[in-house]
Amino acid sequence: MALLATLLALRKDARILKIPPFLSAFLIIVGVAWLLVLPLNEYSRSTYVSENALLPGQVHTYFTGSEHNVFRAYRHEVAGLVDLPVQQRTDKLSELLRASNLKVATQKYTYTPSGRNISDENVYAILQGPRADATEAIVLMASLKTMDGEHNYSGVALVLALARYFKRWSLWSKDIIFLVSGDSTSGPQAWVDAYHDAHDPSTIESLSIKSGALQGAVGVEYPAGPWGHRYDKLHIVYDGTNGQLPNLDLFNTAVNIASGQMGIGCTLQRMWHHRNSYQERLQTMLRGMLSQGLGHATGPHSAFIPYHVDAITLVTVGDGWHDEMGLGRTVESLFRSLNNLLEHLHQSFFFYLLLEAKRFVSIGTYLPSAMLIAANFSIMAIALWVQSGRPQEPIPNTAATKPAPKSITKDAAKDPDEKGKEQEQEAVEKPLEPPPVVVTKDGATAIIPAALLQVSERPLFLPAAFVVIAHFLGLIPLAAFNHIPVANLHPSFLLAANLTTLLPLATAYLLSRFNRPTPQESTLIHCFSLLFLGMYLSALATLNFSQSLIVGLLTAPLSFVRRSSGSRLAAKLQFALLAAINPVMVVYGATYVGKVELLHVLVKAAEGWHVWGMWTQVVVWLVWWPAWFSGSVVVALGLF
Amino acid sequence: MLSFLSLLLFHALIACALDPPAHASPDYHERLLLRPLPQDTLLATFNFRSNETAAAYEQQNFRLFPRSLGQILQHAHTKELHLRFSVGRWDADNWGQRPWYGAREGSNGVELWAWIEADSEAEAFARWLTLVNNLSGLFCASLNFIDATKTIRPVLSFEPEGDHADMSNLHLLHGILPHEVVCTENLTPFLKLLPCKGKAGISSLLDGHKLFDAAFQTMAIDVRPLCDTSGQECVVEMEQTVDMALDIARSKRPRDNPIPHPRPIEDIECDTSKSYNSPDTCYPLDKKTEPAWKLTHVFGKPLRGACPLTATEGPESETLCINTPPERTVQVNTTGQYTEWLSASDTLRCYKLPTGTELDLVLPEQHMTTGLVRGQPHLYAARSINGHGQERGSVQAVIKNPSPTDAVDFTYLESLPWFMKPYLHTLRAHVSTSSEDPLKETYYRPAIDRIRGTHLELRLVIPPASTLILNYDFEKAILRYTEYPPDANRGFDAPPAIIRILGPFQSADRKGLYLRTTPLLLSLPTPDFSMPYNVIILTSTVMALGFGNIFNLLVRRFVGADEVPAARGLKAIIQGQMQGVRARFGRAP
Repeated sequence: MALLATLLALRKDARILKIPPFLSAFLIIVGVAWLLVLPLNEYSRSTYVSENALLPGQVHTYFTGSEHNVFRAYRHEVAGLVDLPVQQRTDKLSELLRASNLKVATQKYTYTPSGRNISDENVYAILQGPRADATEAIVLMASLKTMDGEHNYSGVALVLALARYFKRWSLWSKDIIFLVSGDSTSGPQAWVDAYHDAHDPSTIESLSIKSGALQGAVGVEYPAGPWGHRYDKLHIVYDGTNGQLPNLDLFNTAVNIASGQMGIGCTLQRMWHHRNSYQERLQTMLRGMLSQGLGHATGPHSAFIPYHVDAITLVTVGDGWHDEMGLGRTVESLFRSLNNLLEHLHQSFFFYLLLEAKRFVSIGTYLPSAMLIAANFSIMAIALWVQSGRPQEPIPNTAATKPAPKSITKDAAKDPDEKGKEQEQEAVEKPLEPPPVVVTKDGATAIIPAALLQVSERPLFLPAAFVVIAHFLGLIPLAAFNHIPVANLHPSFLLAANLTTLLPLATAYLLSRFNRPTPQESTLIHCFSLLFLGMYLSALATLNFSQSLIVGLLTAPLSFVRRSSGSRLAAKLQFALLAAINPVMVVYGATYVGKVELLHVLVKAAEGWHVWGMWTQVVVWLVWWPAWFSGSVVVALGLF
Repeated sequence: MLSFLSLLLFHALIACALDPPAHASPDYHERLLLRPLPQDTLLATFNFRSNETAAAYEQQNFRLFPRSLGQILQHAHTKELHLRFSVGRWDADNWGQRPWYGAREGSNGVELWAWIEADSEAEAFARWLTLVNNLSGLFCASLNFIDATKTIRPVLSFEPEGDHADMSNLHLLHGILPHEVVCTENLTPFLKLLPCKGKAGISSLLDGHKLFDAAFQTMAIDVRPLCDTSGQECVVEMEQTVDMALDIARSKRPRDNPIPHPRPIEDIECDTSKSYNSPDTCYPLDKKTEPAWKLTHVFGKPLRGACPLTATEGPESETLCINTPPERTVQVNTTGQYTEWLSASDTLRCYKLPTGTELDLVLPEQHMTTGLVRGQPHLYAARSINGHGQERGSVQAVIKNPSPTDAVDFTYLESLPWFMKPYLHTLRAHVSTSSEDPLKETYYRPAIDRIRGTHLELRLVIPPASTLILNYDFEKAILRYTEYPPDANRGFDAPPAIIRILGPFQSADRKGLYLRTTPLLLSLPTPDFSMPYNVIILTSTVMALGFGNIFNLLVRRFVGADEVPAARGLKAIIQGQMQGVRARFGRAP
C-alpha cells in the first residue's frame, strides 16, 4: 500500500518522463537477449509425438521388391513426359494413374500476377479407401518442378508408384488423393482453393471429383533423373503461407519415421550440416524466423496450411547412400500413421520455433520476445502523450528531496526532453521562472510552480489526420506493386525508393511553410504513429511472431528519434538513420546481402499476393511504412 | 478395350428370376447371385426370404420368421420395417447400375425406416423409440441414438412396399446414424435370424472378415405384409439381403497373411516394347484378362451345400447363380449331386446345390472377347461440403443425368442434424443445359435447437444429358461443451442425401429406384478442452492479486499523521476501531 501511494505521488515527478526511453531500450535489449537464450537446453524442449493415434514407425513397410522395378519404369516415363506440351503430359499422367484403377481428374488453372501468365494443369487421382465413407482424405503430392526449378522426375514417379502400391492395401480408413501439379506453389494452391470452393471459376477450373475433409498432405521433391541419384538426408520443409505452421505432430512423425525407422537423417531450414551446437541451433531458428517472417510459400505444402490442413514437404538433399525406396517407405509409413488418425491433428503445437529436427521452442517461451519489442512502442507512445500534455515550460521538481536543478529558459520552444538532457549538463543556478504561485484553499496555503496550474490543451485534429492519411497513403504502393507488369517492376521500385526517401522531406518542408505542426503537434504525430505500431505489432505477434519481431526491430529507432529544434546536425543524423531503415531501402539491402535478385523478390511478392494469399505486403506498406513515414516527417521537421 | 453392353432387358430377367410372386404359405427362399464387375471386382448378392402367414404371425406362431424380431415388431406395432447396415461406396462410374436399383441399400452407417401403427403422432413416436431401443439390443448397434433430433417423417421419398389394409393410421418414421461403424458384431445377429444360421446354404459363405473387407457392402432387413389379389390371404415376409462388392485380388489373400507383399517380378508382365525395359526396370502391363477365382478363396469358406429348408425342385431350388458372358468357363467342384440351369441368353447360370456336401465354383484366368454386362445408372450423384472456416459452409450436390433422351424426375431428401442450420433462401438448383427452374416442390421442416433436425425434401426434374447443381449455405451452431463427442476434433457426420427416382424409369416391383450420396463430415468450432482450466487458473490468479489491492484502496481512509490521536493503550485502540466502523457507514467521526 505504501508502495502504491509512493508510486501515485511519483506521477507528478518530472523524472518519470525520463524513464520511458531507457525502459524502451531496455525492453528491446531484453527482447533480443530473450531470443538468444532460446537455443539453450534450459529454454527449449525435445520434440515428442503428442497424438497417441499416430504411432509413428510402428508398422513394417513393404514398398520394395518388384515395386522398385516399376518405380524405375515410371521414372523413365516421367522423364519422357516433362518436356511434352501440357495437354499430352496430362493425358499421359492420367493414363498412368488410371492404369492403377484410380479415379482420375484434371484441373486447368491460370494466374496472371504482375502481367505474367502462370497457367498449367494439375492431374489428381483419388484412391477411395475400401471401407472409407468419403468423409476424410489425405493428400500425397509432387509437382513436376521443384521449388528450385529442377525437374522432379523421381518425386512424381514415386507418387505414381505409391499410388499403384497403395491401391492394393485394404486398410485405408481415409481416401488418398495423389496430386501431380504443374508447378510447386501455384498448382497446389489452385487445387486446394478449388477443393474448398474458394477459387475464381473463370480462371481456375472447379474440381470434377472430390473427397472428404482433408486431414493432412505430404509433398515429395526428389529431383533425380531417370538413372537415379542416392541422397544423404531428407530436408523437411514446413513453413506455410503467412508463416502459418503445420501441427508439430506431423513434423515429428516425419522425423521419427525417417530417422528412427529408416535411418535417414533429417534436416531443416537448409542447415545441411547441423552438429547441434549453440550457433547452429540459433542459425536454424533465425532462418526459420526469417522464412516465417517473409510469409512466402516454401513448397507445395504451403497452400494447404491456411485451410487448416497440416502439410509438409520432404525434399532429398546431398549425396549419400539412401535410395528412392527408402523415401518411398518413409512416405508409406507416414501415410500409415496418418491413416491411424481418429481426429484432425490438434494435440500438439501449431506455434513453435524449431532449433533442429528434435528440438523446439514453444510459443509460451518465445512469444514474450516479440511482445516486449512491440511493448516498447506503446510505452514511448504513452510517454509522448503525457509529454504533449505537459506545459512547454519546465517544472521544478516538486517531489525531490533536494532543491531541483534550475532550468534554463533560453529557448521555450525547445523539446522538453532535449531540454532535460541539457539540464543535466548545465547545472547553472538561475532563479525560478515563472515564479511560483501561492494558492490558498480550505484554509491551507501552498506554493506551487505556476506551470503546474497551466492547462495545456492537445490539438488532436492535425496529428490524427496526418497519421490516418499516412496509413492510407500506404495503399498506393501496395496496389502499385501488386499490379505493375514485370517489365516495369524494377524501375518502379527505384522510383519508390527515391520517392519514399524524399517524401518526408517534402512533406516536412510543405508543412513548415504553414508554421505547422507545432512542436506539440509533432509530438502527438509521433505518439499516434508509435501507438498504432505497437498495437499492430503486438497483435501480429500472435499471428506471425517472426514478422512482428523483424518489423519491430527494424522500426525500433523510431522510438528514439525526436524533432530536433536545436542543432541541424542532430536532425540530419537522425534523418540519415531513418533513410537507411526505410522499408524500401531495407528490402533493397536485404536482396543485396542475401544475393537474391531484386526483381525476383518483387515478382514473387506480387505472385504471393495474387496466388498464395500472402499478407506480408500489407504489413510492409500499411504498418511499417506509415510508421516510418510519420517518424521521418517528425525528424525532418527539425531540418526546416 | 472391352465393350460394355447395356442390357436392361437382362436386368429385368434377373429381377424376375429373383423376385417370384409371394406365396400364401410359410416358405423359405435363398439365392446368391455372383456378378463379376469391371476392375477385378465381384458383386455377390445374397438374398434370403422367409414367409409366415399373417394369422400365424399374429398368434406368435413363428416357424421361419424369427421370433426375436417378430415379437419386437408386434410390441412396437410396426407394420413394415426397413433396416440397413452399410459400409463403403458403390462406384457407379465403373460398376454401373446399383444392385436392386438401390432399393436394398442404405446410407453409410445405419438407416432405419418403418411404418408404425398408431392413433397419434406422439404415440407413433413413442412406439418408434421402443422399436429403435429393442432393435439396438437385437443387432448390437447404437440404434438407440436415433432420437427426436435424428428422426424425420419423409413425405415423398418412401412408399410402403407391402400391402396395408388401412394406411390412415400408419406413420412413417425415418432415422439415420451416419457415424455408426458397421462391423462383424452386426453380422452375427443378422445370421442368427436365418433359419440355417450360416451353417448350411449360401449363408455359410458369409464371413465377417471378407464381408467387411469389401469395397461396398450393405446388409438389409425388410419386413412387409403381402397379400394376394383378393386381399384375404396375407403373409408377413421378411427379406434379408447382403450385397458386397469384393476386390478379387484382395479377397484371395489368405487370412493369416493379408499383407499385399509386392509380387515377385517374374509374376508381373512387363512391357518389353519400352526402350528402357531391362531386368531391373519393368513397366507393368495391364493383363486385360478376367482374374481366376473360386468361391472358397474369395469368401474364405467353403459353401456347405444347400439349406434343407429351401425348395427341392423348380427354379426356387437353384440357390447359386452366376451372371457372366457365356464364354466364361465355370467349373463346379463337388462330390455331391448338382444341377445346372442356363437362362435363355446364357448369361445367367444357376446351380442347385447338393445337400450335405461342399460345392465350389472355379473360374480360371481367361482372356475374354465379350465385355462384362453392366447397366447404366439412371443418375449419378455426388455431394460435398464447400467452404472453410468455423462459421459457415455450403453444401453442393452434383447430380448427373446420363440419359440422352429422358428427363428424370426425382426427389432429394436431406435429413440434417440441428447444429447444421441451412439457409433455405440460399437454396439454388441450377441445370447446365436449361434455364428452367428444375425445382418443382419443396417440403421443409426447420430444425429446432436440440429438439429436432432439419427435414428438407425436394422434387426436381433434370433434363436429358445434363448436370444439376444444388447448392445451399448453412451455419454451424456452437455446441455446449457436454454435447461434443469424445473425438470432437474429427468432426460431425451429416447423413447422406437420399434420391428416389420417380420417373420415367419405373421399377418392376414396388421397391422403387434409389440412390444415396456419401455422408459429410462437418467440422464445428471445437474448443480446446484443456483451455477452460488454464483460463480459470489464470483469471483466479489475476483476481486474487488485483482484488486485494483495489479493495484495500477502496475501503482505506487516508488520515494525516498529525490527525491521529496520540493516545495509546486499549482505549485508543477501541476508539480507533469505532471510528473505522463509523467511517465505513459513511458518518464522520
